[in-house]
Amino acid sequence: MRTTWQAAMWVVLAAFLGGMPGSAVGGDEKEKTSLQIEGSTTVGPIADEFTEAFKKLHPEITITVKKTGSGDGIAALIDGRCPIATSSRFMKGDEFKKAVEKGVTPVAHAIAMDGVCIVVHPSNPIKAMKTEQVKDIYTGKITNWKELGGADKPIVVISRDTSSGTYESFTNFVMGKDKMFEKVEYVNSNPQAHSRVSTTEGAIGYVGLGFVDEKVKALEMNGVAPNRKTVQSGQYPFSRPLFLFTNGYPDLGSAVHAFCTFYLTEKGQEIIEAKGFVPVTNY
Amino acid sequence: MNVPLRQSADKVFTALALLSVVLVAAALVGILLPMMWRGGSAVVFRGTVEFRRMQLEQFNRGDSAAVRAEVEEAAKIRQRAFEILDGFAAGLDTSELETKVKQLHREFGVQIANRDIPQAQATELRKLSKELRDGLLSALEAGSKDQALSHLDEVLSHAGDGRLKGTLASTYFDLARKYHNTLTTVDLNRRGEYAESLKQVMEAMKNLFGPPSGERLPAVTMEQYGATRWDQATQHLDRLLWAETWAGSGEGRTLAKSRVPREEQFAGTELAELFPYVRNNIQAMLRPQWTFYWRYFTDDSMSGHYFGGVGPEVLGTLLVTVLAIAFALPVGVVAAAYLVECARDSLATRVLRMCVNTLAGVPSIVFGLFGLAFFVIYLLPKLGLREGSSILAGALTLALLVLPVIIRASEEAIRTVPRAYKEASMALGASRFRCFVTVTLPAAAPGILTGLILSMSRAAGETAPILFTAAVAMGPVPTSLSQPTRTLSYSSYDMAVGDKMAMLAPHNQFGMVMTLVAIVLLLNIVAIMLRGRMSKKLRGQ
Repeated sequence: MRTTWQAAMWVVLAAFLGGMPGSAVGGDEKEKTSLQIEGSTTVGPIADEFTEAFKKLHPEITITVKKTGSGDGIAALIDGRCPIATSSRFMKGDEFKKAVEKGVTPVAHAIAMDGVCIVVHPSNPIKAMKTEQVKDIYTGKITNWKELGGADKPIVVISRDTSSGTYESFTNFVMGKDKMFEKVEYVNSNPQAHSRVSTTEGAIGYVGLGFVDEKVKALEMNGVAPNRKTVQSGQYPFSRPLFLFTNGYPDLGSAVHAFCTFYLTEKGQEIIEAKGFVPVTNY
Repeated sequence: MNVPLRQSADKVFTALALLSVVLVAAALVGILLPMMWRGGSAVVFRGTVEFRRMQLEQFNRGDSAAVRAEVEEAAKIRQRAFEILDGFAAGLDTSELETKVKQLHREFGVQIANRDIPQAQATELRKLSKELRDGLLSALEAGSKDQALSHLDEVLSHAGDGRLKGTLASTYFDLARKYHNTLTTVDLNRRGEYAESLKQVMEAMKNLFGPPSGERLPAVTMEQYGATRWDQATQHLDRLLWAETWAGSGEGRTLAKSRVPREEQFAGTELAELFPYVRNNIQAMLRPQWTFYWRYFTDDSMSGHYFGGVGPEVLGTLLVTVLAIAFALPVGVVAAAYLVECARDSLATRVLRMCVNTLAGVPSIVFGLFGLAFFVIYLLPKLGLREGSSILAGALTLALLVLPVIIRASEEAIRTVPRAYKEASMALGASRFRCFVTVTLPAAAPGILTGLILSMSRAAGETAPILFTAAVAMGPVPTSLSQPTRTLSYSSYDMAVGDKMAMLAPHNQFGMVMTLVAIVLLLNIVAIMLRGRMSKKLRGQ
């Protein structure tokens, strides 16, 4: 009895240790290329689904996707920890500088578009707003829907947390240099913002285009309703591209190249659309 | 204090103690039970024919012939619903019809060119086709019903033309008849009003039944199937049968929600027929059956956890947890032994002990960042392993996290071993080391195991330490320890924040959490049983 247990334990231990050096030198099976993708939580789902598609199209490439935030992905790219970083914003100047200093030349691939939609509870009679009005709400100048011609209800202001790329886009589009006022409620993710707005009468928030459904109402901004067409053409004022960043333009024919150009294929565009984003071309 | 007062104080204390026990139990039942219940629905649910088709096509599972037959059967009944929908949609969405008509003319031209007929006749036929095309197009563009109908009648007057027999041109007449049909039932002026609702109807139909058979498959796996679960199906059905509208009651007032049956909304059109048809035949269209999907615990997931199970996550969680304990336990026990048996009560030991206690209170994300900086970026590449997160780095980080708990528990356990045991073994001539290994350690083992149980549960559930060191949201099943892995804790976090998945497939998120709780429970039960056996042995039974 005891010997069987001991034997089993030794086998398990040997298997663990045996597996380690095996992979360190590249594995014994067919040569496999592995690809690490790190970065944005917004672009992550696209990378996930691309990975799924690659399983069938390129079984020789194994891909791992991490979603910790745009900044983390870019930092990992600069440190050389991943060949592809996903980002829902463009690289900042000092990030560029740091990259060049470390010998990394970042190249951006815009793979899809997203609209930052201003959403309210569907019971709200307001249908359209101007950028200044949204800004006034987030700076605390307007605190009741009455002032905008709506019902006599205090406005519950919801924002994403300050580390998210969506927050950064929103402040770019709407806030400019002004700060949000202290009563703004911060939530951690798109789904949370959606559920907070859809359950609170009088709430206002912002989410990605893919999160607009019948439970929340997306407002027309400056007279343009957010949808595929207006986001793609840039008519909708809060449209933004989503990026993959690589170190230099990837070698033609490499796994990185295949991944970074997958958004150009019909299948890639279909995936982007299915995930609630807008493909860059009309396929 | 007099006796009655003391007695009543006793009673109050007992009552308070009982109350707290009840509160803890209620919290457990109130939080854990609903979670387990909802998580259980990921494993036991009413699966539809779509679920069995998905299992067959994606996992190669189930009786192929039986499932195919079932799909056939269901498709036969669905067919009628799609026909109704297509017929109506074709009439409403004229832009699609327009492209179809233009395409048809081009194809007709090609067909004529490939035929072996005299040039003059071919030109004549093409001219006729052009005439038909323009007639149809002007009918589609016509603003009023009468105008449109007159154009259609003109097109249809050529239907008997013998020259067009057996050519593609017959499709013109099919289209014309279809549109004629639509025109007589649909009010052209209400087109915009219908369009919005029709979009929702089509969406609901797609969610219920997937793409109609014969159409090109969508690229994303989750869109290739309809509702795989009956609970999902009932929600989509509700959306199909009822329109939710928000209507105003006046200037400056909030809108009120109202539910209108779509049957009423589309009353008088041919689409109205669809709703009672689907409502009455939904069972036959989806064929729900109670399903016990035990492979949920071993299957890989698909389409970002929309389909499939948590197999790789379970494996990753177990690997990382067990490995972390394997690293932490020996180090922790040795450290505790040193603190109790060897170290004198000096300032240095006191500082050391304080450090260990402080370490236990450090937030887990700090460990995560330390693990990233030390193991991932510095130590493992130095040892010749691949740079980047790996199971090994995650396990080492978690080991650091649980080390203080193990040290504290082991210290207490070793200290409570009766002095008489040690003295007896020393008196028999055992060295201090031998005495510790053969007498003290076995006697302290049950206490050490308690610390182990606590730290194992913590290691399995932690997200922050492995966020940067071991976990990925998507990736292959790891084949070695230098690869990153998916884990239950990180994947449930990822599902909650990244995508719409938690909204679309809440059962899978609950299922993941349930699996994590179950794993912790299982590990604990094993450890408790082990502890029981040990203490029995100690007591000499």
